[in-house]
Amino acid sequence: MSADDAAIVHREPTEEPVLSLSGVDSGYGEMQVLDDLNLHLEAGEIVCLIGPNGAGKSTVLKTAFGLLEPWTGSVTLRGEEIGGTEPADLVRMGVGYVPQTDNVFPSLSIEENLQMGGVAREDGVDDRIAELYDRFPILEEKRAAKARTLSGGQRQVLAFSRALMMEPDVLLIDEPSAGLAPSIVEDVFKNVRTVNDLGTSILMVEQNAREGLSISDRGYVLDQGTVRYEDVADELLDNPEVSKLYLGG
Amino acid sequence: MSTLQLVVNGIVYSSVIVLGSIGLSLVYSIGNFANFAHGDTMAIGAFGALVVAIGVNDYLLGPEAVVSVSPTIAAALETTVFSLPIWFFVALLVGMAAAAILVVVTEFLVYRPLDTGSIELLITSIGVALAYRALLILGFGSDPQTYGVGRSGRIDWVSESLGVAITPRDVVTVAITAILVVGLHLLLQYTTLGRKMRATADNADLARVSGIRTGEIILAMWVIGAVLAAAGGVFLGLDTLIRPRMGFEMLLLIFSAVILGGIGSVYGAMLGGFTIGMAFEMTAALPFVGTQYNAAVAFIVMIVILLVRPTGILGDDTT
Repeated sequence: MSADDAAIVHREPTEEPVLSLSGVDSGYGEMQVLDDLNLHLEAGEIVCLIGPNGAGKSTVLKTAFGLLEPWTGSVTLRGEEIGGTEPADLVRMGVGYVPQTDNVFPSLSIEENLQMGGVAREDGVDDRIAELYDRFPILEEKRAAKARTLSGGQRQVLAFSRALMMEPDVLLIDEPSAGLAPSIVEDVFKNVRTVNDLGTSILMVEQNAREGLSISDRGYVLDQGTVRYEDVADELLDNPEVSKLYLGG
Repeated sequence: MSTLQLVVNGIVYSSVIVLGSIGLSLVYSIGNFANFAHGDTMAIGAFGALVVAIGVNDYLLGPEAVVSVSPTIAAALETTVFSLPIWFFVALLVGMAAAAILVVVTEFLVYRPLDTGSIELLITSIGVALAYRALLILGFGSDPQTYGVGRSGRIDWVSESLGVAITPRDVVTVAITAILVVGLHLLLQYTTLGRKMRATADNADLARVSGIRTGEIILAMWVIGAVLAAAGGVFLGLDTLIRPRMGFEMLLLIFSAVILGGIGSVYGAMLGGFTIGMAFEMTAALPFVGTQYNAAVAFIVMIVILLVRPTGILGDDTT
């Protein structure tokens, strides 16, 4: 067993990745952002995408989640092509997405936010909301409060929980630590870890590269819309070149 | 005219404006554009009801009736409730249905295929408004018409005890408006559809990624907005003459009600509509100001309130 394998040895080996983007070009309107992008997410992993501003990290998530249609290439979920599939359908196929900003409904109560996260559940939302209240008691405490009254950290917990209402197999998280105080960032990453421990594979974009990689199994370094480096997270953290160029020395 | 009388008139007129304002606000918050065709949607409602009125008055009853109906049916049709013939309530429903169908068709034929920004949709809606009005002129001509329900007397005991003239029709207008507004409130707050509508108004992108089929929510928004606007149009036609421009002429007042209430807030639109309607009718109580300035007074009230609360009465809330 190589050193690379050691970091992900506790993961179940799978025949095919849960989520895969192959040879994807994508962008906004006429502007191309992703250029022949290849990446994958294995079952049970946390994979972190890092890279400079404008590298196309968020675009990867938006393309994977059907908010942008891939111009070329394929996006597959458990081997099935999903490129350009409506987000409302992807949610029903077990994919969740937590946007970077505006990730709660501000004028809805906490409980209503959770209900909205579970609109596609066929078995009702009450049991799942109760489970999430057990895990994140702050949400139950403030269940009737409007989401706009929450602090940044609480809001992030709600944003996660909203996406977890559907019990997704795959969760796409866009910069969970953005705009949060350093003391809260730790809690947010702890929550990402908890969600992953419960069996959800996570593809996460993170500006806070060191912290993001430190809780991840693998990482990709994106630059100018394409993958520059791909490795086990610990190896990326130790890679002097990556460290110098992308991790601030 | 006594102040109490002006208040009563204000409440009746406010009902029409509130019914118009809600839909405009819904389209702004969920559909994300200022719909200039909304006034004409009110007119569509009035003319939808007029079709039933013409049908009953010209084809079933009256001296030159084309279809002969038995005296029992004729009597049943002419039975009055609150001084309105029973068929008028059917006409109200038909007007609401006509407006709902037309806006849904417009959504599928015009707005949805365009799939463009809010400014482009606003300009498109001006075209839609002209098309609606042209449709009415083609179908009905531009002469003023009435439902032919006759005049309604005041309710005696109210005028004797309070000295205020209220007609049974005023009661119908206000009561049905109240039922529709309360119904909308219950829908928005206590049903899944209502929560989805509020969520979509709050953040349409997040609604999509949460699994809400926002296309369906937009359709619901159109139907609800049109049904309420149509009811407003029908009541307006009861009080004034039915003309193709009747809705368009309401548009400025409705816009000011929505802006005053806080653009995009349905509850704000209700409050704004009430305020504008009251200011409009209460102008008569002002010294040195003639009632021909009633719209101007309503707009001044709007400006003054906006100076104090620039985002409108409930400007921070969506839906």
